[in-house]
Amino acid sequence: MTDLAAAPPPPHQAVVAVEQVSKWFGDVVAVSEVSFSIGPGVTALLGPNGAGKSTVLRMLAGLTSPSQGSVRVLGRDPHRDLEFTSKVGLVPQQDALFEMLTAFEFVKLAATLLRVGDPAEAAEVALNEVGLEPDDRRRVASFSKGMRQRVRIAQAIVHQPQILLLDEPLTGLDPRQRLHLIDLFQKLGAEGRTVVVSSHVLDEVERFGSRVLVLAQGRLAAEGDFHAIRELMDDRPHRIRVRADRPRALASGLLAGDGVVAVRLDGADAVIVDTVDAARFRRAIARTANDAGARLYEVMPLDDDLESVFRYLVGS
Amino acid sequence: MTASLYRLMLRSQLTRARVAGLLALGAVGIVTGLAIGSSEVVNHQLAGTRFIDTFGLALLAPVATLIFASAALGDPNEDGTLVYIWLRPVPRWRVVLAAIASSITVTLPIVVGPLLVAAAVTGAGADLVRATAVSASVAVVAYSAVFVALGLRVKRALMWGLLYVLIWEGFVAQANSSAARLAIRSYTRSLLSDIADVYLRLADVSFRAAWLVPLIAAIVAGGYATVRLTRQDVA
Repeated sequence: MTDLAAAPPPPHQAVVAVEQVSKWFGDVVAVSEVSFSIGPGVTALLGPNGAGKSTVLRMLAGLTSPSQGSVRVLGRDPHRDLEFTSKVGLVPQQDALFEMLTAFEFVKLAATLLRVGDPAEAAEVALNEVGLEPDDRRRVASFSKGMRQRVRIAQAIVHQPQILLLDEPLTGLDPRQRLHLIDLFQKLGAEGRTVVVSSHVLDEVERFGSRVLVLAQGRLAAEGDFHAIRELMDDRPHRIRVRADRPRALASGLLAGDGVVAVRLDGADAVIVDTVDAARFRRAIARTANDAGARLYEVMPLDDDLESVFRYLVGS
Repeated sequence: MTASLYRLMLRSQLTRARVAGLLALGAVGIVTGLAIGSSEVVNHQLAGTRFIDTFGLALLAPVATLIFASAALGDPNEDGTLVYIWLRPVPRWRVVLAAIASSITVTLPIVVGPLLVAAAVTGAGADLVRATAVSASVAVVAYSAVFVALGLRVKRALMWGLLYVLIWEGFVAQANSSAARLAIRSYTRSLLSDIADVYLRLADVSFRAAWLVPLIAAIVAGGYATVRLTRQDVA
């Protein structure tokens, strides 16, 4: 595992404690010896499809128990403690809803079963939070994918749970709705709730700007603060495109520099540089260009995104 | 809380296709009952009782109940909506109770209604109508609990349920009285036979056992479904 925990302090109050947890289904190992703890605030669970994110979330929600190891949420075993269910809200990945109900009926039913004082009022508030009309009399069967997703989110927050588990919650939403819900999740995290959001879209995780757990092939590949991810981006091998008026001369100068492992010309006015120390490269490029008598037009990282970090983490 | 679940399950089970199909089957029973009533058979009571046994208790009651009861928790379990019931602080026995109660509510009028009319028009008399009401009701209650549990236990519960009804109850359990003891139909048939006062083959269970065993089967099935719901993984 890539340890990014050095940058941020570990959460003072571990709401979720997962220790040496494995989960297998027959011969298929979905999660293998994963350990982590999560405190209040937003935590992103990041990984490609099939990495084990949904299985981890299902174990946190108590929908399934680990084959090995222990999962404690609020100090309880979520699979066995019925009362725990009133403290958790889950947005599951599957699309199915009770199709014959309206959104209001669906969310009100959740509030009723969760023993909320005024289920109707709570349902109205939750639907308004996610930008749906409580008065909409259409059945959810006729809803678009984005509307159905917001119904799922509304039923998960209707009882203002202490822990909110969201499995790919932004799927099917348009950019405006995404921004709205990201704000909502951040607001809930800032209120002291524990919000765990799974995603395979790195752009989403970047927007959450939160603590990140990276799962790959059922294992915890990395964990730490989002800022530590940013630092990792600087520490890993980088590819940078430099446009200049004298690319050949610049390439010669760059090759002599520390940390540059490869340089190749790219067209008539650019070089592509592979470096293992992006920070040092950024500091030295201006002087190197000056020494080579080259005028710089543009310095552009080609892999400065989380997707590249993720590939790097998984590869390592 | 249980009432909310009950209403939810009632609405999810009641689809037009299911109700229309089963009402059509019930209508076939009524037409057949009319045919018996208007025929010149010597003993309308015997003919009518045999008809209620072979059509009502062997086919309509178990199949109609299977269709609704196996869907009560089986459909949410398979399509993933069970999570919206399971992840709530609702005791599991209440969920199972709501499923069984909703299944009985839907099935009872669809099964017992047409069968009562069919029994009445056979011309067999009031005893057969009473016997039909009691035996079909007991059948619906027992099958509801058993098939709710089956829906939770296996995928394609409809197929497994049909195998039980048609192969086990309809064939294997007809071989001798020992095998018949392991079929709900034997007990409901005995109730029918006792109350209508008509001899039916393999209807030799005591009156008390004919009441108690289906009831015990329902309680055991409900208990099993509760344990299953408590322990199972939810998708």
